[in-house]
Amino acid sequence: MKSYDLVVIGGGPAGMAASLAAKQAGVAKILLAERADSLGGILNQCVHYGFGLIYFGEELTGPQYAERFSCQMLSAGIDVYTGTSAVGMNPSGAVLLSGEKCGLLEINAKAVILASGCRERPIGTLPIIGTRPSGIFTAGAAQKMINLGGYDIGNRFVILGSGDIGLIMARQLKQLGKEVLAVIEKEGKCGGLERNRINCIEKYNIPLRTRCTVTKIHGIGRIAGVTVQDLINGHESLLECDTLITSVGLIPERELAEDASAGGCLPDWLFLCGNACYVHDLVDDVTYEAEKIGQQAAHYVLNGESRKNITIPISKHEAPDSDIICIACPKACPLKKTENGYEGAACGRKDPIPSRKF
Amino acid sequence: MDCYDVIVIGGGLLGCFAARGLARYRLRIVLLEAREDLCTGISRANTAIVYSGYDTKPGSYKSKICVDAALNFSVLCSELGVRYSQCGQLMVCSGQKGEDVLRKKLQQGQENGVRDIRLLTQKEVLVLEPHLSSNVRLGLFAPEAGTVIPWELGLAAAENAIHNGVEIRMNAKVTNIERISDGYRVYAGGTIFYTRGVINCAGLYADEILEMIQEPSIRIFPSSGDYFLLDTKASGHIRHVILHESEEKCKGLTLVPTVDGNILVGSSRIPSKEKEGFETSREGLDEIHRYITEIMPDLPMEHVIRSFGAIRPNPFYVRFDPGSGSYMPDQKRINDFIVNESEENPAFLSLIGVKTPGLTCSEALGRHVADRMAALLKAESNPEFDPKRPAPLRLNDLPMKDRIRLIKENSSYGKIVCRCRKISEGEIVDSIHMAPGAVTVDGVKRRTGSSSGRCQGSFCTQRIMEILARELYVSPDRISKDGPCSYVIGGGK
Repeated sequence: MKSYDLVVIGGGPAGMAASLAAKQAGVAKILLAERADSLGGILNQCVHYGFGLIYFGEELTGPQYAERFSCQMLSAGIDVYTGTSAVGMNPSGAVLLSGEKCGLLEINAKAVILASGCRERPIGTLPIIGTRPSGIFTAGAAQKMINLGGYDIGNRFVILGSGDIGLIMARQLKQLGKEVLAVIEKEGKCGGLERNRINCIEKYNIPLRTRCTVTKIHGIGRIAGVTVQDLINGHESLLECDTLITSVGLIPERELAEDASAGGCLPDWLFLCGNACYVHDLVDDVTYEAEKIGQQAAHYVLNGESRKNITIPISKHEAPDSDIICIACPKACPLKKTENGYEGAACGRKDPIPSRKF
Repeated sequence: MDCYDVIVIGGGLLGCFAARGLARYRLRIVLLEAREDLCTGISRANTAIVYSGYDTKPGSYKSKICVDAALNFSVLCSELGVRYSQCGQLMVCSGQKGEDVLRKKLQQGQENGVRDIRLLTQKEVLVLEPHLSSNVRLGLFAPEAGTVIPWELGLAAAENAIHNGVEIRMNAKVTNIERISDGYRVYAGGTIFYTRGVINCAGLYADEILEMIQEPSIRIFPSSGDYFLLDTKASGHIRHVILHESEEKCKGLTLVPTVDGNILVGSSRIPSKEKEGFETSREGLDEIHRYITEIMPDLPMEHVIRSFGAIRPNPFYVRFDPGSGSYMPDQKRINDFIVNESEENPAFLSLIGVKTPGLTCSEALGRHVADRMAALLKAESNPEFDPKRPAPLRLNDLPMKDRIRLIKENSSYGKIVCRCRKISEGEIVDSIHMAPGAVTVDGVKRRTGSSSGRCQGSFCTQRIMEILARELYVSPDRISKDGPCSYVIGGGK
């Protein structure tokens, strides 16, 4: 069995920043495993501008932002395994990797940073009736199809949910000459950043229908339309479309941490970072936090000290207090923001692990 | 010319098992499937329960074969390399009407010869299933029941049939059948087939197939059912198949811990006019929610990852009604399995309206019609018939050292495509090249379990589409999600 001081799972912005920071803090042997064939994570498919304003003071595209870190990874003395998925993690700290090049490989690690990002809430979780045809994509999947696959996925679009990726996709589809019939949002206001609402849909005259939702899917084979319900008066209307894009929530992907957390509490050697911890609005915040977490992990590796006295930094752009819960154990206590971090975990721990409620 | 001894129409569970049954004889056999893949109709969406046989009326053909089929189910599954979870079945009730039904079923079960069936007190029920509500008054426990994935079973039977010489033609929808002197002429998918005998297992369309050669006598009146699927995170919440006998006049709740570790929650029953589409309905899904509140309020519904609809084929005898100018159903429901056979059309056997416990009895029914056909055609048995079908590679189920070895031999087994289910590219390629191989994204899903996890394919659909395109030498825009008009990209065109 191979041994490392630190294993970082995920080579997106969080994993790269955390591993670089840990290396700088003096951790000798670091392995970073990335399931895709190249570093960058979701940034690679975010070909629009809007990244790096806070961290770099200039506006970059996703791939450009990723490049600032991936080029450092080359010379940092970190073992990078691309095309490698983490498929298991046990409570004693062994990580099981699977990849074409490395095969099935068990790694012993003094500490692990899980930076595996988040996944999109699938449409099946929503109370929508009707058929289950093709032509329904989560916004991120559609973005990847178009920007990395180069595929033409449809012609007449409805977008369900006004999260940031949904708004950005609406704009991109319009720029590609597609029809975007409406962005449907069940709340009274846009779910994404105001900046994105103005730049992505208002500027392009895409109707934002607030207090509305999709109640039924139509079509055999390919989607033929959706029933849109006005939540105020209950009125229903049919929108004919050949593609539905959903942007209805992001869920931190940290099932590996759950596997390793015997008794429900996150072990001391395991650190969550980036969107795997909670979903962030801005990648700049992810980078700042990931650097801190990289340092914490380094501190743990080098001094054997647990994180008990270290608080997780918070970002300016987080959700309101009521939406943040602690995920250190399944009790999911609601947390309150303080100057130094968060408090409110019923177990009394000083380092609750904040996550946006989902 | 395409000449056969027997044509099997329809590649659902029954058709696959009929074909496999026929392969036990020296016959030239072809199975005609209308769609691009097998098991895409009734076999795709149902409760996945292997029943022990206490539901059926003593003395009926159904009860006779169901009890035997349940007892032999694990043998059948190991022969075919199919995963079977014999978890037992617990039927519960929360009122007087339900208690009466359970006692009647116990008696029926004992008469039918169901092994080890017994009534449980509320306390005993709650020991077996601690999450059931204390509304539950009585339980009926049948240990010889379980759950299987229906399409996994059907595809395994088809693969074994092919291994034993059966031909399978996809995209061969039967459009006409003519009686000729020594058999039948069957028009399907642009080809004319000649055959001595026909076994009609066309599922929802079995009535329409039979009506191509004779007057209507039985018709299928479909009803639909709705289901929720819970993520594997909810695994362990229940341990047995749980059926709830409702106090009202409806089907009640069904909870199934699937072999993949999900929980399947169903099923309501509402009349449906359509034979296609598999729609879910608001009433159906609401009804399930209501029942959950009643019998298992702490079922973690936040782990729902999918809801889907299913169709049940209810058979009724029909009579021509001159008033309306159409065929109207008799009031009486057909409750037994019926193998339709008539003198004017010899060697034409139809299985029409096979529903619960059709999955349990699929092998027995298929075998039965195959044996009958063999007798009619005076076929000799095939001594080379091999009933074994090796299980496909499922890396997650193998010990570490085997997985390491396999990945060393073929590195694509190390490349994870479906991250939720941890399915590798190698397993996906295998599913495309097996016979019958996957040609759609859902076909890969039925064979490997890919994209059936908590992300529901949002991460892997593109990769699977690309692997299908590469392996089948077609453009990615020709790859469909699930057959006709369901292309993944290009707006479906």
